[in-house]
Parts: sequence; structure tokens; C-alpha cells
Amino acid sequence: MPVGSGDQSSTLLIAVLLVPLVATLVSLVAPGVGRFFTVLSGVACFASTVVLVPAASAAGGVSVGFLRVDALSGVFLLATGFLYAATATYAVGYLRGEHSTVSMRRFYVGMNIFAWSMLCAPAMNGLALLWIAIEVTTVVSALLVAIENTDGAVEASWKYVLIASAGLGIALLATVFLYYAGSRVLGPSYDLAFVPLLKAGAALPETPVRLAFVLAVLGFGTKVGLFPVHTWLPDAHSEAPTPISALLSGALLATSFYAVLRFYQIAVATLGPRFPQTVLMVFGIASLALAALYLLDQRDLKRMLAYSSVEHMGILAIAVSFGAPLALFGALLHVLAHAAAKGNAFYGAGVLVRKYLTKDLHRIRGATGVLPVTAPLFLLAVLALSAMPPFGLFRSEFAIVAGGLQSSRNTVAVVLVALVTLAFLGLATATTRLVYTPDPRPDGDGAVAITRGEVSAWMVAPMVAGLLALLLLGLYLPADLTTLLTRAAALLGGTP
Amino acid sequence: MGPAPAPGLFAGVANVIAVVVLLIEFGMLRTALLRDQLRLYAAQSFVVSALAAVVAATHALPELYALAGLSFVLKVVIVPWVVVRLMRGTSEDIAGSSTLGVASAALVSIAVAGFGFLAVGALHLPSDVLPTTALSIAVAVVLVSFVLMVVRRDVVSQAIGFFSLENGVSLASLVVAASLPLIFEVAFLFDLLIAVVVFGVLMRVHHRRSESLSTNALTRLRG
Amino acid sequence: MALADPSLPIAVIQTAQAVTVLVAAPGVGGVIARVEARLQGRRGPRVLQPYYDLAKLFAKESLAPRHASWVFLVAPLAALTCYLTVPLLIPVLTTFPLPLGYMGDILGGGFILSLAGFSVAVAAAESGGPYAQLGSSRAKTFSAITEPVVLFVVLVVAVVTTTDLPYAMAATLRSSVTQIVRPAHLLAAAALFLVILAETSRIPVETHTGTNEFGMIDEARGFEHSGPHFAALRWGSAMKQLILYTLLINVFLAPWGLAQQATLGSVALAIVALLTKACLVGVGVTLIDNSFAKLRLFKITEFVAAAFVLAVLAVLTLYLGGG
Repeated sequence: MPVGSGDQSSTLLIAVLLVPLVATLVSLVAPGVGRFFTVLSGVACFASTVVLVPAASAAGGVSVGFLRVDALSGVFLLATGFLYAATATYAVGYLRGEHSTVSMRRFYVGMNIFAWSMLCAPAMNGLALLWIAIEVTTVVSALLVAIENTDGAVEASWKYVLIASAGLGIALLATVFLYYAGSRVLGPSYDLAFVPLLKAGAALPETPVRLAFVLAVLGFGTKVGLFPVHTWLPDAHSEAPTPISALLSGALLATSFYAVLRFYQIAVATLGPRFPQTVLMVFGIASLALAALYLLDQRDLKRMLAYSSVEHMGILAIAVSFGAPLALFGALLHVLAHAAAKGNAFYGAGVLVRKYLTKDLHRIRGATGVLPVTAPLFLLAVLALSAMPPFGLFRSEFAIVAGGLQSSRNTVAVVLVALVTLAFLGLATATTRLVYTPDPRPDGDGAVAITRGEVSAWMVAPMVAGLLALLLLGLYLPADLTTLLTRAAALLGGTP
Repeated sequence: MGPAPAPGLFAGVANVIAVVVLLIEFGMLRTALLRDQLRLYAAQSFVVSALAAVVAATHALPELYALAGLSFVLKVVIVPWVVVRLMRGTSEDIAGSSTLGVASAALVSIAVAGFGFLAVGALHLPSDVLPTTALSIAVAVVLVSFVLMVVRRDVVSQAIGFFSLENGVSLASLVVAASLPLIFEVAFLFDLLIAVVVFGVLMRVHHRRSESLSTNALTRLRG
Repeated sequence: MALADPSLPIAVIQTAQAVTVLVAAPGVGGVIARVEARLQGRRGPRVLQPYYDLAKLFAKESLAPRHASWVFLVAPLAALTCYLTVPLLIPVLTTFPLPLGYMGDILGGGFILSLAGFSVAVAAAESGGPYAQLGSSRAKTFSAITEPVVLFVVLVVAVVTTTDLPYAMAATLRSSVTQIVRPAHLLAAAALFLVILAETSRIPVETHTGTNEFGMIDEARGFEHSGPHFAALRWGSAMKQLILYTLLINVFLAPWGLAQQATLGSVALAIVALLTKACLVGVGVTLIDNSFAKLRLFKITEFVAAAFVLAVLAVLTLYLGGG
């Protein structure tokens, strides 16, 4: 595929942001058709983001009006696009059948807008627009979390919207302070676009940038799920409908992390790498440690996966704090691989929950016997999440640790490996028990008779796709993707 | 030894207005009636809008007039109206008892606000538009609104706490980013409106489920 | 000037300060009571009624509870003496400091006021009467919170003027309008106003005309006193009110109309101005009295906490330079 001409890429970019809106409209008018249209829209978006990769890796990226996609945004667009397509497919199976009490129309309208807002965020050229896009993701996803209208869902949704909105209030404050810093150089009125800000980076006054960066890490960190502002995350992830959990975990957290990265870029340009890296390192280690401890003793399947998300966000923060190009490369690859793996894990969990009608880890047993395809896929997804070879996360975490050693952050690298191992212990114990321990309940006894067999092919297909993606990322990185990741890592490292 | 220099007439007035915003925030900690709290929020928004208009007039920033007008319409009229509409039918007027007594909450808030004051004051961020004290006060407003959200145990108070947090941020942005392009300001306000609607919807849902506005029932999810 | 304005010796002015407060205090109270009655649609007592009351009380005999010691009888006089001392320290009539003004600073004035309150409280405890003790213990409890507020207000004065003299604060205020609109000044004035409401037993802290013993704070303290001693106590409260008003007016709110030269005319004018301003403040207080309800006893901490918040904010804004 030749590098698309500027016009073509611009059209494609606009298409990525228009298609979900069309899908929203269709879902609003005809929900029955809407679900298939959403699948189409997801696949189209993902395909477009893939096609956009070479253009995004080029110097300057693609920009149309207030939209701009460079290599860094390209990575996050890819992750979101993939999960959008996979989740749209999964949701067709999830909403089928009598278990579902969710209004199809509301669900699809919400999901499409949610995906749209998450695709918008990395495509925005400017911190103010980025903040707005992320705020939209919050309010839309809060409604989606509550959509099943159970006690737990409403509680989780309320906590989520309150904590995340407050966090975004802080992030807005960060944006305002950064605007202030910029106005000292760029004149009183400008639009917070990235490129001029980065160019002016060295000349910006230090104190407000420092303040803005800390506030941004805290504010956007609320949505990333960094300790100590992660508290909404396990609740929302466990109580949301599973397709939404997958999007929250794989795409939303990453998108919010993208916002932190943009602030990081500017902070590095102004303050040098030391201060921003230390801040990220502290938050990263704290989150990772907390998540590893919570993973050790977790009773709830979806909460376990949620804490695993906190863990991986911690890893991302630490990876960026290493600062070495290799570590940054690893971090961005991690974003992609985590999206695929966490998506898969949630899809698997969703099937398990549908089958066993419980999220309690102690009551789901003998899954291989019941779900011949999903159970192994779920196990593989969890192994992938624990960075087992040959999956993408192994490659990314390897790169991160190697990068850490390269920039002689040996202690932190060792702590990282130790905590990840601890997390692996928790995850692996729970999952193998769930998959291999035979079900103590004799067949046909009691209230719940569990029949053997998959719930829906629609729910299996995205998991297979996810597995393929994980293998691809782990075994053979396409050249275009390597270019994209290298370029994005260079952007993060401070190359203009 | 002469008297300490005063900050000048405009700065003095601006600081007083900012202090009024902070005092209203403290007032919210005290009020027990939800409607009163909403009134205080409207008053606070009004003061912030007025400050925007004052800045517009004194610094020849005509865009800020539009912002002041818009934020007046939105935050003084529409948001309270929406919340009142949503509260209608809940037949609850009294805020859930807070975790702290009013006096203790006030003391905690003083400490928190003092921290904000000194922290921001120590940064020495000069502004062309408003005195730096106003910035410290804005940060104090944000911090006290956090206290409000933490100590209150009902959804309406918590939501109003968040809205007033936004007022604090608006105040801060008047100080350090008064010339932020209008389009962003409008977008921020629009976002606030969406957030208000979502908060409202969730309030309703919560009330339908638990027959109360208290958050005491929201303790199921832990660990 | 066509009119000859004979100059006055400083000592006379000095005395005039104390005497003005002593003589005018019941009158100001009378005016306020009258206005209050009018606001409530009553005709109200004569303005001079407090003087008649005092005269009547002085004509009666003094009784003391059986077990009370000499403290009980000395306390009202001690309080009265304290209230006579304070006007010497604060700007009552003149813009320029009088010699005895240097005897004590604003903090000293505060201490003397507290001493007066303390002696009354001791007397109440001495009496053994349950209501008196109730009132004095309540009064002391709340003043434990109002006194830090006063200290913060004093601190504001000190930082603004770099002195601890109330005269300097007033002079600073007169110097420029920017000193008036600064938040530190307004907040400190508001905090002081709230403290004065509490100290002069006004709504929302106390119904000063009430007869319900359970809600009483200050009023209950004099229950066991009688005759001239009770008169001294009553007179003392009236003076305390006027002193506090004077402090608020001449240091924070409106330090205008004071005598600038030591001449008879300007001092006389200053006396008239002071009493007019005091009555105006009194009317303001009365308006508050009529618009709000009394707080429950346990809610009073909220009220004083509000004063505390104001005072602390005043100091904080000031320390940030430019408050």
C-alpha cells in the first residue's frame, strides 16, 4: 500500500469520525439494523485507522482543520478502532437472548457515541479540544455503565461520573495553567495546538508547566486509573455490561493516558525529562503495587480484570518514566497489545458470566467442560495479560524492562518485574482454577443446570480476532507498524 | 513604618469578588436545604459571571462579555432550573447528614483552603488581568468543593459540589487564561451542561431505585 | 473661621472619651430598643428608659446569696472599671492618639474586655444559682471560639498597619479608598461584626429580650445580682456594647468624623458623630435581629465558625500579598 496522498488520508480521517455518527443515527432510527450497522462501522473504522498508519508515521502526520493525527495519536486510534470493531461484533451476541434487559436502542446509540468520542480524542489538535473529547467520553460511558439499571450499576455509575468529573475538573485546571504558560510566549490568545506549543516548549515558564503537568497527571490520571484516584475503576468495570467494560478497559483508559502523554511531551520540552518522569514513576509504581496486591485475593471475575487494567496502566506510566526510546516503543506497543488482550479477557469473562450467572470466582468451575472454545481462549487471554510469550504483551514488557535497564533505572525495572510477577500469580491462580478445577456440582442438580456449549458465535469471533492480533504483535510486527511505533516513541522522546 | 500597601482599587474589588465566591462555597458546606444549596450555587455562578463582565469592561476583552452572558444564562438560570426540575417529585428537601459536623467541616475546609492559598501563592504566577490572590482563592474554591463532595452524603449535594468545582476552575481561568478563545469557553460550558444532564439522569435513576437521595445505600461495591 | 474654637487640654479629651461612653451607653441602648419596638409595630419604651431603670436600681438595696464571697459583690464594679478603661485605649473621639492610648495596644484592650467578662462569669459561678452558672459557662464556651477570631482580626490590623495601634488602622483606612476595598479589611470587619453580634447577645445567638432561661447566655449571668450591683452590671453591658460598636465604627467601618484638632468644637462634633454612627449600627443590628431566627444552642458553633472562617481568610488573603 503506497503512502496515501494528503487528500486521501484527510478524507479517511474525516471518515473515521463520521462513520460512528452515522451508525449512531441508524441505531437511533432502527436498532435492529443498527447493531449490524455498528459492526460494519467498527470494521470500517478499524480498517481506516490501519490504512492511516503510514500517513500518520510520516513527518507532520495528517491534519485537517482542527483534526491532526501524528504517529502518537495513530497508535491510540488503532487500539480504539480495533476494540470498536471487536466489541461491536461481540455485542451482537451479548444482547441476544432473554438475559438481556438492556434497551437495544440506548445501548447502540451510547456505544457508538462512546466509540466516536474515543476516536475523536486522539484526533484532536489541541489540549482544549482533547479535554472536551475526554469529558464527552466520561458522560457517555457513565450512562452506559448504568444501562443495566441494577443497584450495583447505578452505584458504580454514580461513583464513576462523580470521581471522573472531579478529576477532569482538575485536568481542566491543568489545561488552563498550561494555556497561561503558553500565553507568555505565544501571545494572549491562541488555540493550544500541539505543534506550536511544543516548538515554544523550551521558552515556556517552568513553574506553571510543572503545576499543569502534575495536575494533568492527577486529573487525567483519574480516568487512567492511577492510584490513588483509581477508586471508581473496579466498580465501573465490574458493573458495566461486558462489551462496555471491554471498551472502558482497553480503549478509554488508554485514551486518557494519551492525554497524559501530550502533557508529558510539553513538560519534557520545558522542564527536561527528570521531573515529569519522576512524577509518572511514582504514580506508576503505586498503581502497579496496589493492583498486584488486590489481584492476589479477588473474588469477583470482572473486578479482577479491572485491577489488571490498573496494573497495566501502572506499567505504562513506569515505561514512559524510563524515557529510553526502547521503553517508549514498548509502552506504545503495550497500549495495542493490552487493548487486544484485555478485550479478549473481558469477552471471555462475559461469556463465563452469561453461562454461570455469577461473577464470583469461587463459583465458576470446570469451564473447559462447559465452554470448549471460550475457556481456552479466556485462559490464553489471561496468560497474554500476564505477559507470557509468544503474545504481544511479552514483547512490549520485555522492551520496557530492557529500556529501563538501558536508562539505568535498574531498581525500578526490578520492582516492575517483581510486581508484575506478583500480579501474574494472582491472575493465573484464579484463572486456572476457574478453567480446570472440575465443577463440584453434579450435572442437573440444584437450581442451575449448566449446559455445555458456546453462547453465540458472535461472541467467539472477536476473541479469535483478538488472539490473532496478540500473536501478530508478539511474533511478527508488520513493518508499517514498527515504523509507526518507532516514530511515536521518537515523538514522545522529544524529537520534533 | 507606613501602612502595608494595598493592591489598588481594581485588584481590591476583584479580590473581594473572588473572596465572595469562596465564602459562598463555605456557605454550601453549611446549608442543610437542597434548594438553598442550589440558590447558593446560582449566586456563586452569578458572582463569577459578574467578575467576567468586570474583567471584560476593564481590560477591553469584548469576548468575555459573551462568556459572561453565556455563563450567566447557563449556570445561573438553566442549570439550577434543570436540577430543580429533576428534584421535583423526589419530595426530599433536606440534604443527607454530612459525615462531619458543620464546624468541623468548616475547620477542615479552612485548612484545605489555606493549603491551596499558600501553595499557589508560593508559585508567584503573575497575571495581566487579575491579581494573583484571586488565583489562590480559585484554587481554594476547588479544594473546598472537594471537601463538600466528600463530606456530603446525598447525590444532589455531591453534584452541586462538582458544579461549584467548575465555578472555581472558571474563576481560575479568568485569572490566568482570560483571553482563552471564546470557542473553547463555550465548549467547556456546553460540556458542563451535558454533565449536568447526566448527573440529573443518574440522580433520577438512583432515586427511583433506592427511594432516597442519600448515598448511604451506595456501599455495595468494595475491594 | 468666624467662630472661635477654643482649644481643649489633652487631659480633658482623654476624660471625655471615657465619660462619653459611660454617659451615652444606656442612651444608645435606649435608642436601639425604641427602634426595635417600632420595627415590631410597638410603641416601645422611652429612649431615656435605661437611665430610669438604672436610677431605680441604684435606689434599692443589694443582696448577695448566702454562700457568696466578696468576689460576688466586687465583680460588677470590676467589670465597670474595665469598661471605663478600654475607651482610653481606642479611638473614640480623635484621629490622633491620646497619651494614654499608648498605655495598651489593641490586644491590651481585648484583654481588658475579657477580664470584665471573666469577673462577671466568676461572680455568676460564685452565686450558686443554676441559671447564672449555665449562662456563664455557655458564654465562656462560645468566647473560647470568638476570642481566636478577635486575635485574627487584631493580626490583620497588625499586618496592614505594621503597628498594633487601633489609631493607625483607622488612619490607614482614611488614607485611601484602596485600603477599604481590600478583602482583608472587609473580611476582618465582617468577622468582628459577627463577634459583636455574639458578644452583645443578639440574634442569631441569643434573644436579648427573651425570658426563656434555657436559651439565655449573657442575660442569665446577672440573675442573682440586685440593687446597685445589678445596676453596675447592666450599665457595664451597655458600655460594652457601645465600646464594641465604637471599635467597629472607628477602626473598621467608618473612621470619619473624628476630631482632628484638640478643640472644643471638633470634639463636640465628634461626640455627636460617634453617637449617630453607633445608633446607625444599632439599627442595622436590630434589622438583623428582626429578620433572622435565633439559632439552636448547638448551632451557635456554626455561627462562630463562620466568624472564624472570615477572620482566617482575612489573614490568608493578606499574607498572599495584596489581599
